[in-house]
Amino acid sequence: MEKKLAMVIDSFACIDCKACQAACKEANKVPVGEWRNWIKTPDMEAAAKKGGRMLFQPGNCMQCEKPTCVEACPTGATYKDPLDGTVKINRELCIGCGQCLPSCPYGARYRHPELRVADKCDFCAKRRASGLEPACVSTCPNKARVFGDLNDSTSNVRKLMKKDSYVQVVNQETNTDPHIYYLGDPGVTDWPVKAQMPSAFAFWKNLAGPAMKVFVGLSGLGVGAMLLKQFVMPGDAPLHEENKGEENKGGDDHE
Amino acid sequence: MSNRMIKRHEGPAILIHWFNAIAWFFLLATGLGLIDNPALQPLGQWWPEMMRDLFGGGAPLLKVHLIVGVVWAGVWLIFLLAGIARYTLPFLKQIMTFKLPRDIQWMIKKNMQMTMGYKMMARLVKPMGWDGKIPEQGFYNAGQKAAAGGMIAGAVVIVITGFIMFMSKVYLGPAETPLVQWSITIHYIAAAVTFGILLIHIYMAAISREERPAFISMFTGEVPEEYARHHHRLWYEKVEGRS
Repeated sequence: MEKKLAMVIDSFACIDCKACQAACKEANKVPVGEWRNWIKTPDMEAAAKKGGRMLFQPGNCMQCEKPTCVEACPTGATYKDPLDGTVKINRELCIGCGQCLPSCPYGARYRHPELRVADKCDFCAKRRASGLEPACVSTCPNKARVFGDLNDSTSNVRKLMKKDSYVQVVNQETNTDPHIYYLGDPGVTDWPVKAQMPSAFAFWKNLAGPAMKVFVGLSGLGVGAMLLKQFVMPGDAPLHEENKGEENKGGDDHE
Repeated sequence: MSNRMIKRHEGPAILIHWFNAIAWFFLLATGLGLIDNPALQPLGQWWPEMMRDLFGGGAPLLKVHLIVGVVWAGVWLIFLLAGIARYTLPFLKQIMTFKLPRDIQWMIKKNMQMTMGYKMMARLVKPMGWDGKIPEQGFYNAGQKAAAGGMIAGAVVIVITGFIMFMSKVYLGPAETPLVQWSITIHYIAAAVTFGILLIHIYMAAISREERPAFISMFTGEVPEEYARHHHRLWYEKVEGRS
């Protein structure tokens, strides 16, 4: 059966220890300066309003149901795997144009400095292949991160979602339906960053694409008109008198 | 009426023409197959799906497109450099020599004649003070010159943007990604513009009855004297004057 892999994260259980970030770096050889996961800390002012309690929002690529990064990829190098529901990157097909980077509202993607392709969390595909959970999940000392299959009613994620109320953290204007669900209080649920379509992509999609269709269409129309004329007027010949005796004996048109 | 043949194209020029034709269609087919995004794909998703089935996936398709693209540009570069005096410069001179009033009149009249016939054309251009004659043309007519210019510009843009995309994964850093992004879009525009011109070019050569001798000359290198005199009078006179 097809899977829909997801994470349920208990914000109250997170103590901002950053073990998940360290484990991820180690497990996935994430290059210096880049991160595949994070723990966001809503600002102190917001925390003060909630009675001084610090709230933590651990995250990573949310393997969205409607991924804007996939929408921004011209070649299909970034795609949603129908078998496990994760968003994958075909490194061989990716040319590193970086259009998927700003199109992810969560900033989950980076351009790998050595491979020069887009890179991000894949729920530890390699570890999963050998039967392990994602590194961040295994390492979390408070079990704030829980991983599982949404399509499996006996999975831990489904059990937690049945027991508690949960929220998604989304930007209302570009809701990607992320597959990370937060229990407890993740602080801010209105994600401030919108998914951005790069200008070159928007130009192609909205202007160049339709314009080129019109251009090639007009060219085709012209060819069609000439073809039609060729059938309708097979004997079309010049009217002028010059060299009359020699011209167009075959009824063919010239010039 | 003489059926004497006149030399119009030399062997290497004919070879590069057909090499270009084959490479171009291969690159067009594979290039369109690389666009796997419903918002951008002009033919529909069946095309990238079919091309990926054919080549065993998106990654091999990209590799093949890149290799053939490099071979295409490389062969052209060698041809243009090796034949700079014999082919490149004379060709550029021919397609850039415009006789403006005459060429503009040719463009308007010829387009009308090709779609509406001589009679209608003559009637329509009369108010402009023109007769129904189509102005005489040199080695290339105005349409061919415009098409050649467009295709050369298209090819140069395609090669440059293609090179930038290739460099993206080999050399360029994150700061240069906007350059790569615009290269993708412009690569597509240049290919589409060239394809639009190509439709007319292919119609003229392979389908139009008038230009049939020109099509045959792309294999034999020769055109009948009568064809040369009617279609490229100024060139014909020059050739005849010399011989």
